[in-house]
Parts: sequence; C-alpha cells; structure tokens
Amino acid sequence: MNNDTGMIDRAATMAAKATPPRLVRRVRGLSDKAIAWLFIAPTMLLLLVINIFPLIWTIQLSFTNYRANRPNAEVVNVGLRNYERLLTDPDVWIAMQTTAQFVFWSILLQTVIGFTLAYLIDRKFRGHAFWTTVILIPMMLSPAVVGNFWRFLYQPQIGLFNYIVSFFTGIEPSSFEMLGSVSLAPWSIVIVDTWMWTPYVMLICLAGLRSIPDYIYEAAEVDRASPWRQFWSITVPMALPFIMLAVLFRGIENFKMFDMVNLLTGGGPGSITEVASITLKRQAFEAWRTGPSSAFAIILFVAVFGLANIYVKALNRVKQR
Amino acid sequence: MAEVRLEGLGKSFGTSRAVTGMDLVIADGEFVVLLGPTGAGKTTTLRLIAGLERPDAGSIRIGEEDVTGLSPAERDVAFVFQQYSLYPHLSVFDNLAFPLKSPARRWSAGEIDARVRDIARMVRIDHKLDSKSTKLSGGEMQRVAIGRALVREPSIFLMDEPLSSLDAKLRADLRLELKRIQSEIGATLLYVTHDQIEAMTMADRIGILAEGHLTQIGSPREIYTAPANLHVAARLGHPHINLIKPGLLPCQSMPDGVRTIGARTEHILVEAAASVAQGNGRVDWIEHLGDQNHLHILVDGQKITLLADPYSGFKAGDPVSVSLKQPLFFGADDRRITDV
Repeated sequence: MNNDTGMIDRAATMAAKATPPRLVRRVRGLSDKAIAWLFIAPTMLLLLVINIFPLIWTIQLSFTNYRANRPNAEVVNVGLRNYERLLTDPDVWIAMQTTAQFVFWSILLQTVIGFTLAYLIDRKFRGHAFWTTVILIPMMLSPAVVGNFWRFLYQPQIGLFNYIVSFFTGIEPSSFEMLGSVSLAPWSIVIVDTWMWTPYVMLICLAGLRSIPDYIYEAAEVDRASPWRQFWSITVPMALPFIMLAVLFRGIENFKMFDMVNLLTGGGPGSITEVASITLKRQAFEAWRTGPSSAFAIILFVAVFGLANIYVKALNRVKQR
Repeated sequence: MAEVRLEGLGKSFGTSRAVTGMDLVIADGEFVVLLGPTGAGKTTTLRLIAGLERPDAGSIRIGEEDVTGLSPAERDVAFVFQQYSLYPHLSVFDNLAFPLKSPARRWSAGEIDARVRDIARMVRIDHKLDSKSTKLSGGEMQRVAIGRALVREPSIFLMDEPLSSLDAKLRADLRLELKRIQSEIGATLLYVTHDQIEAMTMADRIGILAEGHLTQIGSPREIYTAPANLHVAARLGHPHINLIKPGLLPCQSMPDGVRTIGARTEHILVEAAASVAQGNGRVDWIEHLGDQNHLHILVDGQKITLLADPYSGFKAGDPVSVSLKQPLFFGADDRRITDV
C-alpha cells in the first residue's frame, strides 16, 4: 500500500518534470471551465463535422439546383421552388402514404405481438430466461443479413416461407410470390420488420411489466378484481408509458427504414413499396437531383421531428398521470 | 364481521418454516395484534388468512365457512399492506371505489359515491378525493389504503404494519384514529406490528410470535404483567426489562429453581445511599427524555436501566442502594415460575 502510493508519487513527479515548463505554465493558467471544454472539445468537434455540418449543408443545398454528378455546373439559387414542387408532387405524397401505412402496420403488429410475448414471459414459467434469449435473436442480427436471408425464404420455388404457408393452407407454394406481387410485397416487408423488431418491443414492455410491484396485484386480488379487470386497470395503465416509448422508438426507426426495403424489394414491384427513404435514394443517387432531394430530406426530418415532439408530449402526460 | 379461527396452521418456504402449529381464534369485533420481531411469521400468518399464500397444514375458518382452499377474492377479507399499495394511475376517489366496482357487488354509481364519501370522511381524506394517489403524502396514502379496506365491510380486516413507514407524530395520530374507527364500526381486526406501543394501545388481545410459534396470547395487561417466558417478557416494556442473576440484588422471597430474574422499573427500589460502603451500586449516567429520565445504575459491573422521575435528584456517580420488589422469576427452561 505504502509502496504503491510511493510509486504513484514518483511517477507523478517524473511526469511533472518531463512536462515542458512552458506547457506547465499554460495549463496552470487555465480555469476549471476551460479545462472542461478542452475535454469535451474532441467530441463536440466530431459531432459538428459529421452531424451538424452536413445538416446545415443539406439545408443550404435544398435551396439550389445543385447536382452532385456535375460538380462544375453552375449552381443557381432557386429559393423555395424545390419545396414547392415536392409538396405538390403526387408521387411524393404516395411515397409518404406508403411510409405511413408501413409504419402503422408494422408498429401495430410489433406492439400487439411484443406486448403479448412480454406478458407471457413475465409469468415466469420454467425456462422463461431461455425463451427470452431465443426470442431476442432476430433483433441482434444485422438488417442486411436479415434482408438477404428473407429473400431466400420468400423464393417461390425454394423458399421455406412459401412451403410453410402451403403446409397450413394447401395453396400451391409456387403459385404466389411474396416480393414480386403488388398486393403481397408490402406485407412481405411488414412481416420481416415485425419478425426482426418485435423482440425489441417485447424487451421494453417486459421492463414495464416487471416495474409493477406484486403487492398491487395482491391488493387487487383481495379487492376481488378479476384477472381481466386487473389486466385493464393495473397492467395496461402502468405499462403504458413503456409501450408508448417502444412505439416512439420503432416509429422513428421505421420512418427512415431503408436497408431492409432496399434489399427485399428495392421499392418494387413498380413503386408499390417505395417508402420515402427509397424515393429519396432514387432522387439523390439515381437521378442525381441533389438539390430537390436535399429539400425532401429536410421535409422528412421536420416531419419526424415534429411528430416525435408531439408524441413525447403525450408520453409525458401519460407518465404524469 | 365474523369470527376467524386458525387451527394447526403451518407454512414453509423451502426449508425454512415460517409458521408452525398456529392455533388462534379472533372473536367477532375483536382487535388482535400479533407482535414479534422480523421473521417471526407475522406477515405470513396474515397472508395465509387472506389467501395470498396456501398453507401446508391446518385450516382457516371465517365465520362458519372453511376457507382454507379458497382464493383471496372468495374470502371477503380486506388487507392493508405495509407499502402504500394504491393504484397509482387512479384518483383517491377511484382508489376507494375500486373494491366496490367489483361485479360481484352490483352497486349503483350513486351507492358507490355515497359510500366512498362516507369512508373518506371517516379516514379524513375527503378534501383530497380528486387528487391523484401519487400526489399524496405518506400519511394521506396510508389513510386511503385504510379507507379502501373500510369501504368493503369485509369479514375481517388484516393489516400488515400499516403505520411503520410513517413518521412518529403521524403514527401516533393514525393509531388513535384506527382504534376509534375500529370500535365505531365494531370491526374484527388482525393487526401485525413490531411496535410494542401500537400493540399495547390498540389491542384487545396481543399475540406474541417467535420463530413461527404463537408463544402467548392475552390482554395487553396480562402479557405485560404475566409473561409466559423470557422471550415474551423481553418484547414489552420500555426501557427494556433488566435480566439479572439471582443474588445480585436483595429480594424478599424467591422460589426454587430460579435462573434469571426479570426486573422492570416497578420491580426495582432505588434509594440514595449515604456512602459507597452503605449502598450496593452507583448511578452510571442519566438520559433526559423530558417528561422522564432513564437512570442507568451499575451494580457489581452489571447495568440496570429504569425509568425515574426527572426531579428525583440523582446525579451521575451517586451511591445508591438497589433492591427488588416482587420481580418476575424465570426457571432453567426460560419459563416464568408462577408459584411464588
């Protein structure tokens, strides 16, 4: 112990001696606040460079006709025309609707299934820890991997999915094409997204359910509340802030959902699964209309930001009840 | 209200036996307090009666009915938990109305409203009926919890240290109110505590629990003046009963086979001695409690603590002569020797 402190002291003295006198003077002259800034400066700098700067640049580009594939062409400031065009373009609104429908259905399914699973796991049956882990596996995979292997599962000739459906319904497996059919393609994405992210919703709901103390249920039991009434008057209201939080996280994620859709359908067939992020990618990196696509990105950003803010206010109201 | 009868009740958790061979009859309208240290099986006894635990042995009868195998809802008991077990998202009114809205009752909205307001007045929370239950202070929450038990008119009230999480002043107030309410409505009440003042002031009968056994049950007076054994004697009395070897202090008559003498303040005579040689002890130190003093006396190296009048005039270091006056005698098996 004594030896240790001695060593640390010696090391400190050596370090002090090795520091150039000018630096010592400079560091000693700094206030605590300045030193604090010195410590957070690298992170702040990084955030500025990779987050704030691109955002500001995108805003600036959204008012121009800039094209990234013609860097030498003359850049004209077009004012609000990009925004005007986008907001009156029916294709953009269709993409928005597609996104909204996609967000709605996948969140609905994920919440219902996730909460049900959490409710079952919370019963603490034998092996519930094992099943929790099993259920969580899809969530741990990379979306790119998930997209690729579901493409195989959806294959009409060799895909397992079609065979399982045919096993239960008797429909010929090669008679339908999940990714190629106009009516089925949106659902194929909803199914994959639900498969992958339901565990995440379950995990958050489980935390909510575990936060409800047993004695509340015992009090209700003594008060002669039926299991049904206990569920609706204790479980749901007390877990609601957690459920809403899960919906918020999934909502934001799904709004900007790109990789899985891109891998599974690429927005097709036609533009039936073309969610906003796919439209954006086509505009920006296929048509190279950098200016208008920047405007589109800003519109999406404001929409998500605004919706999330309204939602967080609602969430806080629920929490304060 | 009804009589509650426990016969040979037993419950183990794994290898530890929480309650063994419990026989207890709580008469209709009686206030019984179970007193014991942590882990004595008090709470388990309550939970067994409520049906929140299933007994391994024995039976529970409420009124005429054997309820041993019934669910909590079928037993018609009310339970007040140690934690404020309010429904946090509901208002005070809705918390109080919760048990009345059970479909088993079929009360109309008007009846529920009238009943809730009555009870809220009784537990003095009627000014907060619209508040959220999470916005209340500890004392108010526990009033609501007690009120929620009272609205029901159950066959028995079970209360598990309902006042233990409150501060001393509030505890004293609610203690009085609880006793008032109980005698007002003639409730059968089984109350668990480790606070001897609560037990002494509220109970018609006190049951002393130790390691899952009911050691003794009787009126507070009986338990205090005629404890069955050393353990019971040590549960009651403040300051703590003095346990001394026979022969340490002079005593007029002593039965045979005494191993320990239990002496409370009223069993000890202290007189000022002129000198150290004339006395048999000296005042070690004095604790001033305001209305009373705790006098700590050293006799042959053993400390004896008793209550004293603050105006008795003793000072630390004073020589005193100490003797015993009809103390409690305990034999080798720790049981009290009754034939003095």
